[in-house]
Amino acid sequence: MATETKATTKVKSRTLFQETWRRLIKNRGAIVGMVFLILLIAVAVLSPVLFDYETDIIGQNMAEALQPPNAAHWFGTDEYGRDLFARVLYGARYSLIIGVGAVMLGLIVGTILGSAAGFKGGITDSIIMRGIDIFYSIPNIMTAVVIVSLLGTSTVNLMIALAFSCASSFARIVRASVMTIRDQEYVESSYAMGLPTWKIIVKHILPNCLSPIIVQITLLIGTTIISASSLSFLGIGVPAPAPEWGALLSAGRGHIRDASYMCVIPGLAIMFTVLALNLLGDGLRDALDPKLKK
Amino acid sequence: MASKTILEVQNLTKYFTTPAGQLHAVDGVSFSIEEGKTLGIVGESGCGKSTTGRTILKLIEPTSGKIIFDGKDITKYSRKQMRPLRQEMQMVFQDPFSSLDPRQTVMQLISEPIIEHKLLKSKADIEKRTLELMETVGLAERYINVYPHELDGGRRQRIGIARALAVNPKLIVCDEPVSALDVSIQAQILNLLRKLQKDFGLTYIFITHDLSVVKYFSDDIAVMYLGQMVEKAPSDLLFEKPTHPYTKALLSAIPLPIVGKEKPQRQLIKGEITSPVNLPDECRFCKRCDVAADICKQGNPQLREIAPNHFVACSRV
Amino acid sequence: MNEDLVLQIKDLVVHYETEDADVHAVNGIDIEIAKKRTLGLVGETGAGKTTTALSILNLVPNPPGVIKQGEIWLDGENVLEMKPHELEHMRGNDVAMIFQDPMTALNPVMTVGDQIGESIMLHQGLDKKAAFEKAKEMLKMVGIAESRAYDYPHQFSGGMKQRVVIAIALACNPKLLIADEPTTALDVTIQAQVLELMKQLIREKEMSMLLITHDLGVVAEVCEDVAVVYAGRIVEKGTADDVFNHMRHPYTEGLFDSLPNLKQRGEELVPIQGLMPDPSDLPPGCAFAPRCPYATEACTKAVPALQSVEGSATHFVACTAYADPDFKLRRNRDGK
Repeated sequence: MATETKATTKVKSRTLFQETWRRLIKNRGAIVGMVFLILLIAVAVLSPVLFDYETDIIGQNMAEALQPPNAAHWFGTDEYGRDLFARVLYGARYSLIIGVGAVMLGLIVGTILGSAAGFKGGITDSIIMRGIDIFYSIPNIMTAVVIVSLLGTSTVNLMIALAFSCASSFARIVRASVMTIRDQEYVESSYAMGLPTWKIIVKHILPNCLSPIIVQITLLIGTTIISASSLSFLGIGVPAPAPEWGALLSAGRGHIRDASYMCVIPGLAIMFTVLALNLLGDGLRDALDPKLKK
Repeated sequence: MASKTILEVQNLTKYFTTPAGQLHAVDGVSFSIEEGKTLGIVGESGCGKSTTGRTILKLIEPTSGKIIFDGKDITKYSRKQMRPLRQEMQMVFQDPFSSLDPRQTVMQLISEPIIEHKLLKSKADIEKRTLELMETVGLAERYINVYPHELDGGRRQRIGIARALAVNPKLIVCDEPVSALDVSIQAQILNLLRKLQKDFGLTYIFITHDLSVVKYFSDDIAVMYLGQMVEKAPSDLLFEKPTHPYTKALLSAIPLPIVGKEKPQRQLIKGEITSPVNLPDECRFCKRCDVAADICKQGNPQLREIAPNHFVACSRV
Repeated sequence: MNEDLVLQIKDLVVHYETEDADVHAVNGIDIEIAKKRTLGLVGETGAGKTTTALSILNLVPNPPGVIKQGEIWLDGENVLEMKPHELEHMRGNDVAMIFQDPMTALNPVMTVGDQIGESIMLHQGLDKKAAFEKAKEMLKMVGIAESRAYDYPHQFSGGMKQRVVIAIALACNPKLLIADEPTTALDVTIQAQVLELMKQLIREKEMSMLLITHDLGVVAEVCEDVAVVYAGRIVEKGTADDVFNHMRHPYTEGLFDSLPNLKQRGEELVPIQGLMPDPSDLPPGCAFAPRCPYATEACTKAVPALQSVEGSATHFVACTAYADPDFKLRRNRDGK
């Protein structure tokens, strides 16, 4: 209601992107998360330049095995004497690609299925959702094991395997949101305007489902990184010497009493990544919601 | 010059299938409107007035009947076939709070139909037209980047009207456009709608539960009860000589802002509206009607012309 | 304090203090309701009507709502100084409230008989069985068959639900009934029935009522006294006849002009220009001045106080224009 007094003087119309960015940069948490993620991505991209894979990452040096963090090895070394700092930084590549890749793949498939189910309703809805329920009832790991054994072990196949469980949770969330928004008057108004159905879904329905989707994305990237590690542990994830974070974590398990840093450090890496994603996700959700505009 | 009929509706029906049986939301409604005129459709909740409005625009598929718009029978048109016609028939919705996408700015909301129907190409032209529309409906230019939730109900309804006007329609279905607004704002919007009708030669179907609003607005008024029209007449005639017992009751139920002196005595009707499911073959109003007789139980009365242009569906008249 | 008054509100000020703004919802309202009288509080959205009603029950949500000053005397006791248990006793027993939306006012998983009985048990100390019997009586009183006491709210229509809500409110014979837009959600024919019922019950039970509404028609139907609120202040009050037939305030006139008239058709309506001011940023002086067709320089200088109209004991108006003894509203110039 206070619009009368704080009305903008310039009448240039702004795009959604500019509007969102303007609001996002006012959110301190989101900035922290964003900076952390940008650094992490930079590290992931640059790590082959910074480290030599053969010597720094998988080259063994038993003389320096199991050293706690010190000046020479900031994060300490593992049982083969490999520098954990280098391995954790290098591991960001694997974990980020798998986590983000699987979630994005799942997001695309899940959104398409969920919006079709939610919008069409009836038979379409029943078929899609019952299919997803069946998937849901099988443990994620088992689905992943089956898929990876069928397709063979590789990073891409691992991503596909993990994307399945992401897709089913996205489909559920999108369906529920679409069903509530479908009956809003502004959707009917778009029909009366003459918009084709697909445009209504893309322009008016999905943008209004954004908040739960963004929250789910940030949560799922975290769990997916962990799931990937369990698969690595079972020997069907990223093959052994590669320093994927989950693999580092499970490698450290055996030494949790005498060299707890081996677990703590990759654990912290996962935690900070997920935290950064959450901060950015929350900020993005608020920035994209015009109702929260101050 | 004889006016031309822009919309003709013949025996329109819409049944919904519910667990309890067939719900006769609209049951054999017929009317026609001449260009530039206003038809008011009045009734209480559940009488099928909104369904009628939405069926005419083909937002809801009719069960049977005919809708002839501007000489074309659009009854069987698919959503795709309807799309170009959306330029000519538009709708203003009841709830200015839920009928605007909360994630779009005023600019996006008003320009959407222009872009969608490719009425203008260049960005500058679209923006110019949007500002022009905003001026037409009385919205200040400074609101262009504002989101609907930042505005009051009256301004939001102005956005809704601007959206409808953007494509230069011939017919606008107004579904309770002022019932969510405060009295003083209501008057502003009603005056605006009237001015627009004069300026652009619009035809309105004005759906409302508020008889005082339609009287102010309409040339003809149709009263609906449980999916059927029970009385239809030119506005003045209907208010002078309400004939159907339901119309009389509806008129008398309006609380008048008059104290003392010439305040008319109210006559209350008993009972409540039932839902139009599994209806027996009798007058739909007879259970609540004061003058019901045996004849009312024998068949559902249809509209008859009792005087020139005055139609009533009552066995007792 | 006057013995005959059931409710007396003196200079009530309520603000909603949020981080962004200090919303001045009620800015010095004075109201009196005598025994067996019905006062209509009329105004538009955001005028402070509901806040006033909630203050009477000391139910203004805090935070952000703060009752800044004022006294609320209810049958000789100041509500704002009551202890929590006294408040609980007062609510429902001395004062009952009916809300706008009957759809959400009832608990969907309890039978209506139990819901009415609950309030009787709580306030009158009857046992469950006796309370249920009393509940049936109450249902009958509001025109619902006793057998329906065993039904759940979803089995009732909107009008019937509002009757149930009324039965709950009246179950303990309150001295004052506060009805906040009780018929706004109902259809016209049902509204007429419910209003008739309320009128009759109030007469029978010798209660007082504060009716909050935006609908002047409803006020004319039910109320003996009227107070018109604008931006948290009363701008005019008097008997229904005073306000409807001898109105003095430009805002009251504006409200009447905005109504489509059933008698004449086709005239332009005369809406009030502009919008309700933002209650967190009220204009100086008379809050209505920016929209008022009669406003002068003087109106923006000071907030006008309620003053008796031509020495009347009942009719008061708060308008600076009457400093000029010849000033008359447009409506009052011709004819009356």
